Amino acid sequence: MKILKSISASAIGLLVGLTLLLTPALGQDNPTLSDAEVAHTAVTANQIDIDYAKLAQERSNNAEVLKFAETMANDHKAVIDQAVALVTKLGVTPEDNAVSKQLLANAEETKEMLRTKSGAAFNKAYIDNEVAYHKAVIEAVEGLLIPESENAELKSLLQSIVPALQAHLEHAQMVQAELNGK
Amino acid sequence: MKNLKLGLLPTSLYFLCLFLFGATFSPAPPKVHTVEISQMRFNPDTLVVSKGDTIVFVNKDLVTHDVTEVSGKSWKSPALTSGDTWRMVALKTTDYFCSYHPVMKGKIEVK
Ligand SMILES: [Cu+2]
Repeated sequence: MKILKSISASAIGLLVGLTLLLTPALGQDNPTLSDAEVAHTAVTANQIDIDYAKLAQERSNNAEVLKFAETMANDHKAVIDQAVALVTKLGVTPEDNAVSKQLLANAEETKEMLRTKSGAAFNKAYIDNEVAYHKAVIEAVEGLLIPESENAELKSLLQSIVPALQAHLEHAQMVQAELNGK
Repeated sequence: MKNLKLGLLPTSLYFLCLFLFGATFSPAPPKVHTVEISQMRFNPDTLVVSKGDTIVFVNKDLVTHDVTEVSGKSWKSPALTSGDTWRMVALKTTDYFCSYHPVMKGKIEVK
């Protein structure tokens, strides 16, 4: 129960954090991001999931979880490579910003939580977080990064990433259902 | 010279007959079909082919995929990185999926 609570708390924290950044509250508008900041945020979001995957590869013995983590590490690396190739071509230098910082701060907390767990508890915590994280990232890409990007190629790269994020989310939900069934 | 020509005639007739017979009665030659992997989908996700047809899978996504028979035991393509192609000869109806992204599914129907 305690485990469950802390996981959903961190997932909710992540969603609330992003939602606060995403929804205009008390007269504040969405954060305004330059293309350099959009690129930085996209790379950061992908790197965070690679870091989670590395933790899973260190701590899990479950074949399904390991296979999922391997896909996350490979796919998010492919997305980063593509983003870096594009910004290099465009002559844009990714720029740190409030959204990237918020993502990283949340990720640090989550990684700390994951490091305290092992065995079945780790598998469940990792997969639950992957479900929550991919939901949040899809929301951020569709609700913030795509609308904020001005360059057409950057916008279309972000749009082409959404189906992969969606497939990752469904895959995570599949593994989650299997873990819960056991 | 004359003898040689006459000697060749029966042989040519034989091949002519074989050609006509073959053209009329042999089944249609095997076809080549393409399944494009893009946007995390197999397009088309159901492909109807004749036995012996070739299917070419083309990965147009930026992430790595594969094509794996549903049980994972009968056949499986190698890892296809962006831009890779893989061909197989269709022998029987099978469901398949991508072992990296198990939510991606497809079907080959051999009629
Ligand atoms: Cu992912």
